[in-house]
Amino acid sequence: MVPLKSPAELENIRKAVIARRDPNKPCIAVCSGTGCRALAGQEVALAFVQGIKLHGLETKVDLKRTGCHGFCEKGPLVVIYPEGITYVQVQPSDVPEILRETIIGKQVVHGLLYTDPVTGETVVHESEIPFYRNQLRLVFGNNSEIDPKSIEDYIALGGYSALVKALFEMTPKQVVEEVKKANLRGRGGGGFPAGRKWEECRNATDEVKYVIVNADEGDPGAYMDRSLLEGNPHSVLEGLIIGAYAIGSHLGYVYVRQEYPLAVENVAVAIKQAVEYGFLGQNILGSGFAFNVEVHRGAGAFVSGESTALMAAIEGRVGEPSPKYIHTAIRGIFNKPSNLNNVETWANIPLIITKGAGWYISIGTERSKGTKIFSLVGKVNNTGLVEVPMGITLREIIYNIGGGIPGGKKFKAVQTGGPSGGCIPEQLIDTPVDFDELTEVGSMMGSGGMVVMDEDTCMVDTARYFVSFLCYESCGKCVPCREGLRQMLNILNNICLGKGRDGDIELLEEISATMKEASLCALGRTAPNPVLSTIRYFRDEYEAHIKDKCCPAKVCRELISYCILPDKCQACMICVRNCPADAIIGGEGLIPVIDQQKCTKCGTCLEVCPPRFDAVIKLSAEPAPRLVAS
Amino acid sequence: MKNKAMNIDGKMVNAGEGMTILQAAREVGIDIPTLCYDDRLAPYGGCRLCTVEIVEDGQTRLVASCAYPAEEGLVVKTRSERVDRIRQMILELLMPLAPTGPVESLARHYGLKESRFEADLNFCVLCGLCVRYCAEIKGANAICFTGRGIERQVTFVPGIASKICPVCRECLALCPGGMLASEIECLLASPEE
Amino acid sequence: MTHAQSQISHDIEQKSSSSRSDTLLTGLDLFGEHLSLHLDEPPLGLELRSLETLMMRDAEALGQVEERQETIGHLINELHGVDAVIDKYQGDKSSLIQILLDVQAQLHWLPKSALRWVSERLGVPLAQVYNIATFYKAFNLLPQGRHVVQVCLGTTCHVQGGPRLLGKVEQVLGIKPGDTTPDQKFTLQTVNCLGCCALGPVMVVDGDFHGKLAVTKVGEIFDKYD
Repeated sequence: MVPLKSPAELENIRKAVIARRDPNKPCIAVCSGTGCRALAGQEVALAFVQGIKLHGLETKVDLKRTGCHGFCEKGPLVVIYPEGITYVQVQPSDVPEILRETIIGKQVVHGLLYTDPVTGETVVHESEIPFYRNQLRLVFGNNSEIDPKSIEDYIALGGYSALVKALFEMTPKQVVEEVKKANLRGRGGGGFPAGRKWEECRNATDEVKYVIVNADEGDPGAYMDRSLLEGNPHSVLEGLIIGAYAIGSHLGYVYVRQEYPLAVENVAVAIKQAVEYGFLGQNILGSGFAFNVEVHRGAGAFVSGESTALMAAIEGRVGEPSPKYIHTAIRGIFNKPSNLNNVETWANIPLIITKGAGWYISIGTERSKGTKIFSLVGKVNNTGLVEVPMGITLREIIYNIGGGIPGGKKFKAVQTGGPSGGCIPEQLIDTPVDFDELTEVGSMMGSGGMVVMDEDTCMVDTARYFVSFLCYESCGKCVPCREGLRQMLNILNNICLGKGRDGDIELLEEISATMKEASLCALGRTAPNPVLSTIRYFRDEYEAHIKDKCCPAKVCRELISYCILPDKCQACMICVRNCPADAIIGGEGLIPVIDQQKCTKCGTCLEVCPPRFDAVIKLSAEPAPRLVAS
Repeated sequence: MKNKAMNIDGKMVNAGEGMTILQAAREVGIDIPTLCYDDRLAPYGGCRLCTVEIVEDGQTRLVASCAYPAEEGLVVKTRSERVDRIRQMILELLMPLAPTGPVESLARHYGLKESRFEADLNFCVLCGLCVRYCAEIKGANAICFTGRGIERQVTFVPGIASKICPVCRECLALCPGGMLASEIECLLASPEE
Repeated sequence: MTHAQSQISHDIEQKSSSSRSDTLLTGLDLFGEHLSLHLDEPPLGLELRSLETLMMRDAEALGQVEERQETIGHLINELHGVDAVIDKYQGDKSSLIQILLDVQAQLHWLPKSALRWVSERLGVPLAQVYNIATFYKAFNLLPQGRHVVQVCLGTTCHVQGGPRLLGKVEQVLGIKPGDTTPDQKFTLQTVNCLGCCALGPVMVVDGDFHGKLAVTKVGEIFDKYD
């Protein structure tokens, strides 16, 4: 492959690629994102390979291993194009039927279709499934149609035409203006206007400048960036090259956490292909612009996603933040002007350039434009990655797209923004999703993690979880963060152990104030958010733990006990046999009793008790139920 | 070499090129407390005791004066209710670790009698002065940080510290917590690790 | 100096280049050769001795006590492997973290000798190498077991019962996160989100994902590994 030397050559290649593709030829798209792989997605793809060979269909049907489709709850996902027939929870054993019935027989396999839990009806096409129908998948949508290892797939869908427009029809300054006009705000959590950052970096006078993709996605529960980088790496690269042109940078970095081996692999393949095709290199598409990209892996540190920390890591120093009162856009890596943006931010750029800022600002709210990809996870029916326009309400996401709370349980809170964010309670569920609105209610947009919690979640335990996470992820350099977290963890641990004291809540608030005001970096400054937001909206739970030694959600081990209901128990002895602590005293025909001294509160008995008996319950600071006289 | 005129606590101060707020303040006798700062070393920004209020474009911000560059027209307040509260909390958080020496005298100065937090003495406030002195001035790199977060520690570098530290000992004078004095004795006592 | 010692010294001078690391490696090579000829003379220099001691201790810890010359042979092989990684990055100091990641992938842990070697070759202070090696979770400074067990404690898995699953795994294996079972079979780690949040709680053993894992199934999963 000789690198393309002009836009015309690119268009020729594009036409040739499209001409080679028969739009009517069936294509089996098997989702090969990490989530579906964990559910035997690779084995499904392999079964298709074998089956296609068996039926002699090699020339009659294409098989494509795509990136993440987003509907992770229903994986492994298989979509048959051109019809868009979507099969869910496909297992290798289903493959022969799909080949026989759908590919050869042109019939739909009803048993593999998505069933709407409300109407009971099956849905055939991806676009009609409520989960997808209520989204606006501008950035993420192409994942279902491209093989991330194939640059031709990306080109066939119009890829790199934005780059051509930027390089040949716009000046660097015009590109910056367009991004400013679009009011694209950073999707990594900061929400800072990207255009302004680009401008500052562009105006910094230095021959050497850097652009960086921050793919260190560390918020637990958030995996949007991973799926974007795994599934459509060229969209990110294209955005990066456009940004480099606008700013005047000739070397870029993709900083990817090493916990994402597939993303590391796919972005490396994409870079190699981009070089081959002339989208990267000394003379991109004959424009005279030179730009190259290197991949730099993280090594397991949440704090290294902070911009000064990330840049230190690229320099080979330890990835901890430094007090930088001079913007990294002016002095960043090796003290050179450096522009860092999140994966999703970069992926929005080709769209903005192609369709224009005017179009982009028609989506979203006054101060938050465009769409946002969220990882909708936790106690929600349809877990997965969802892309929605800014301004949609939390309720619409959780219920219309997410399908509500499973098991008939009651919604309690939704946690957004990861360890820097907060919990939003039921009374605020109609809050529109928008950078400023979420901050106002005590949380933040963050990178897009959205963890739904129900009545069985203890909010004090949740706060403790986040503080514990940060205790070990903080770099530990500055006193307010390190020591503040240490003491907050002590207090929260004690509260959950039933050793809480009057004044604990106030002390937590006091420590939080100093952390917010005096910490060195945003990790420390936002670390108190989970604690403060849960105190704000769930103070009664804290007080129950402290004053009554009660955990209303029945989660905190020291404050709960398990109990077997005599009037429901049928003495099947399953719990007795499974108790790992031998704490259940029972015998043939006798109602078993749990020895509270030996019980480790592991919950095995509750798990194994047959649902039709449902005889095990949890109690917290309440008396055991009496036997009802029959 | 243009001087930058600043207002620190009502005093007009002319800061030289490359100066930080802390340096400019000290030049005119305004003492801002620090634990992790040393004029010979690059600013660290770890203890946050030097936090001051600045007014910029009508907005008040809190910054670490040891690292914030002096700017023309900057208005700085080195003491205020907010600043003092921050310093008190920082000291209260450090007292469980190292209740003697500079931490103790600063605590007294800021009206802090005792800490509400349980003592967990290790005599190290992780100011990093020893690590940074050994790296930046001595060039020996015999002592380093290990771990992170609440497990962060100062550790002697195996194979190097035992040869250099018992002879050099220059970082002892910098240590506010007091840990180094005893640690170097232990180094002498125990075999190479 | 005995004849054998002066011979070794002469050989090293002949083969040595300007770098200290090369000299050390050559010294070790020759030392190994001479050992195999049972010329068990005291080694030259503190460096060789300390590298050898480190290696012996590691070998013992791994339950692989071997002959000294075989241990030296191991060490030389390992260090050659580290050299190859460093050369791949052209000895670039700013690639320190990448180099350590590749060395970790090769050796499954970071022995002290490897850390010292990287420090030597890159010209980066050992203090900085230690700082980085202990700062990041990806690096293990202790030998790992044959199988790595990771329990996800991301937010979603936490909400779906991750801590309970961890408790059970700790009980079955008898170790805490970060430790390795005495028989070197399993190393237990906790991870903060593997990105399979629809499958919580999740446990991964050697890259095999076990999702929606019921606490009762843990034991039988471990029995499958040898």
